[in-house]
Amino acid sequence: MNAYAASFAVSSKADDRTGVDTLQREKRLNRFFADVEKRALRIAEISVRDRDEALDLVQDAMIKLARNYSGRPPDEWAPLFYRILQNRIRDWQRRQMIRNRVMVFFRRGTDDDERDPIAAAPDLAGRTPDEQLQSREAMQSLEHALTGLPGRQREAFMLRTFEGLDVAGTAAAMGCSAGSVKTHYSRAIHSLRETLGEHWQ
Amino acid sequence: MKESNSTNATDDFADKARRLFDESVDGLDGKTRSELNRGRQAALAEIHSGNRRWMQWAPAGGVAVAAIVAVVVWSGSPQIDIPDSPEVASDMEILLTEDSLEMLEDLEFYSWIDFDGETTGPTEPTNNVG
Repeated sequence: MNAYAASFAVSSKADDRTGVDTLQREKRLNRFFADVEKRALRIAEISVRDRDEALDLVQDAMIKLARNYSGRPPDEWAPLFYRILQNRIRDWQRRQMIRNRVMVFFRRGTDDDERDPIAAAPDLAGRTPDEQLQSREAMQSLEHALTGLPGRQREAFMLRTFEGLDVAGTAAAMGCSAGSVKTHYSRAIHSLRETLGEHWQ
Repeated sequence: MKESNSTNATDDFADKARRLFDESVDGLDGKTRSELNRGRQAALAEIHSGNRRWMQWAPAGGVAVAAIVAVVVWSGSPQIDIPDSPEVASDMEILLTEDSLEMLEDLEFYSWIDFDGETTGPTEPTNNVG
């Protein structure tokens, strides 16, 4: 085998390996996205109160993770993904705040400010309509209570409770210390319990 | 004991919140799930485009390399020096004088003289010792 053939063989092997690595990474990332996307959507939806906007934010976060961080170890993906998503949500909320100020200035408020984004969902758990209604109302109350929390407390609560990240993962996602996460989470629980009252529990 | 009760209540509260949240996730409609799936596929396509992204710069890189090579070759090539020797100056002087045109008219004659001198060699007798 001459030198050219040998180098071609090495190059082909390297390409094959890169292709296999990429495929494996894609499969793993697909599983990860499939696992988190629905919860991420609901978390984003609770934060921005608009499903279409939430869908855009989640897709942006998935694209950014795939483009920039898919080469990182898979156990880092969840905190990274939620960090990207939380940053997107915060940017969206800032833009929305400016937009609302401008709208108020021109006295052109939109009619859909009070729109309820929760879609009617078929019940898969086989509950009675009353039970479904109770659950839906309880979740709506929780969402309203969550929107009343300071942003950091809401993030800490949703990442810990809804997404199930541990303190370290939540700290990485929020870009703060573990101590801050514990404080935000504890205050969030306290405020929510106070707002929702005894009957909610 | 009081702290334990408080922890239990917190856990219960978090459990209920999680259960309600999971139910709302399970209740997502087909259209939303489909849009999520589409978004996921778009994100996964980024892995491949990320691998090929360097190829987008290949033409620009080729042009840049060619330009660098051209600059290096051009700056490294020997310059054509115009000799500034006295002979050149005197030749120019002859050409610029008014007589030069007359000389050009007799160029054929001067060429013949020059050619004759080269073929006959020196006119002085050589010492051919027998």
